[in-house]
Amino acid sequence: MSVVIAIDQDLCTGCQECTKICPNLAIEGLPRQPQKINDTKCVMCGQCVQKCKSYVSVAEHGFGAYAKVRKARGLPATVTEPLFAAYNVCHLDEVLRALEDPKVETWVQSAPAVRVGIAEDFGAPLGTLAAGKLAAGLRRLGFNKVFDVNYAADVTIMEEGSELIDRLKNNGTLPMFTSCCPAWVRYLELNYPELRHHLSTTKSPQQIQGALVKTYGAKTQKTDPKKIFSVSIMPCTCKQYESGRPEMVDSGQRDVDVVLTTRELGYLLKLKGVDFLSLPEEKFDLPMGDYTGAAEIFGVTGGVMEAALRTGYELVTGQPIPAVDIKAVRGPNGFRTADIQVGELTLKVGVVTGLKNVKPVLEDLKAGKLSLHFLEVMSCPQGCVTGGGQPKLIVEKDFEMAYKARTEATYVHDRELPVRKSHENPSVKKLYDSFLKKPLGEESHKLLHTTYCGDPKSHH
Amino acid sequence: MANDFGLFVATDVAKCSGCRACEMACFQSHNVKRNKVGKTVGTITTPVTPKLYVTVIETASMPIQCKHCENSPCKAVCQQSAIVRIGQQVIVDESKCIGCKDCLVACPFGAITLLPYYVKGQPVKQIGGVENKVAASKCDLCLEDPDGPACVRACPNEALQVSDINEERKRKNIAAAEALAIINAGAPERRLLP
Repeated sequence: MSVVIAIDQDLCTGCQECTKICPNLAIEGLPRQPQKINDTKCVMCGQCVQKCKSYVSVAEHGFGAYAKVRKARGLPATVTEPLFAAYNVCHLDEVLRALEDPKVETWVQSAPAVRVGIAEDFGAPLGTLAAGKLAAGLRRLGFNKVFDVNYAADVTIMEEGSELIDRLKNNGTLPMFTSCCPAWVRYLELNYPELRHHLSTTKSPQQIQGALVKTYGAKTQKTDPKKIFSVSIMPCTCKQYESGRPEMVDSGQRDVDVVLTTRELGYLLKLKGVDFLSLPEEKFDLPMGDYTGAAEIFGVTGGVMEAALRTGYELVTGQPIPAVDIKAVRGPNGFRTADIQVGELTLKVGVVTGLKNVKPVLEDLKAGKLSLHFLEVMSCPQGCVTGGGQPKLIVEKDFEMAYKARTEATYVHDRELPVRKSHENPSVKKLYDSFLKKPLGEESHKLLHTTYCGDPKSHH
Repeated sequence: MANDFGLFVATDVAKCSGCRACEMACFQSHNVKRNKVGKTVGTITTPVTPKLYVTVIETASMPIQCKHCENSPCKAVCQQSAIVRIGQQVIVDESKCIGCKDCLVACPFGAITLLPYYVKGQPVKQIGGVENKVAASKCDLCLEDPDGPACVRACPNEALQVSDINEERKRKNIAAAEALAIINAGAPERRLLP
């Protein structure tokens, strides 16, 4: 496993502010001594990267230090922002090589939270929604196809929603846990391997998109899948690890070749001289850039739950859901539950945000003190909009304001989209009609589902 | 109440973790207008130039920042009149600073250093030269910020506070007087005889 999160020993002052927030106690060291990350415990959520303030400074490290550290981290010379002790390993060079190679087909897809974050690094107000500019910016960078992970989020709902219904009908393992957040999956594998069968076998949207890009995508775009270099833009530092998991090769090759964070996309746009805020609003490419409001809310805590309920309700009852906005599962609390009436069934759901809040919930489930059918878990403070790869706030006092603004922008985007339920996405319907046939079908099982540590399909 | 002495930021050493959040906040506060620094680090296009300097020793950590000395040695030695007193605060005028380092020599705390000087995201050049200018950089108590020193607000451990030493001295006087009053009341043998 290659290193994802690191602490620069020359820069760390040993303040241990990161240690206080690390959800898996993976940061080790003495006070006022440089801290080290224990890679066997790190879940790669990147919250330490967001927290760290110990930067390469002229006063402390001299005039030449900044350029040296920037070079050592493989960052382009156009990067001017401060470099901190805690950082995620950057793979921008691989993307640049692919973009410059005319024989390579570069296909890109972005997560929902990227479009409510990226503009901030160009000076726009916190939580500025920039979906159209994001599509335009990726096109200016020279990507051959500008698809979107939100398309795969709609597919995720088709599979995960059907999986939940199947578990309910056939006495499957309950509660089912969401599996979109790779830091949460890793946390569970490390600390509660006995609960792994609760994890939905449905892959995360990134990995569904990856598996579909090099199969269905290659077929519909009449492209040799071996020529495709698939790039994900993520608000998350852990997605690089997820894409590198040995089992994530169901398309016959590595499903996602490289992951850039929202911040690293900012570096790339600046390197190529793209004036992001002046870009026009453009559309993502069809079919794999077509998405609904349900997909967009994957970026906020409670969003996967809400998206699943919007579709699950209709699959079970055959009736349209009375209110598309399911406010009972929204909010900033670290753990919340709701009873949702789905036909004759009272579905008991739970939502955890912030990985530190999950332990008591899992312990209560194990002890039989808590009864749920479906549990969503996101590692970062308020879901992916607050991910470790999102634009980093200079002062902590702005964290709450940024969290709120990005969350609100996500719900605004959901409300404004013409289609707000995953099963009504016309391009997803077409995918099932022409390729997958049905959710949980043979092709889905091959491409869109996975297993976890200790299971036969897993190489861990 | 009028305060005759210059205010300064004092650190509770027991609370300071040495995280340097104060340095980042200081830089941001002074560069929103001057260098278009926004809310995120991605908006920073210049070197980070704080006006206080976190120092970590084996047993403690704390930001070292200007105490706005009443008999300011830095102000006394500056031949360019680049260091002036505005109200009770000792302030550097970067545009006048020639980088001679006399103030660095004079300051007994090391609260001043020379740092790159940028305006509108570009390095300011030396007069008649092509090389980039440096300027003395030290705490100005966020003179232009109505909310007061940014470092105090940014500290995650609430280790910093604006110290009004005159007020503090008066408080101590009153506390001491109250304690002595009680002691004396209960100890008649200590009264001076008529």
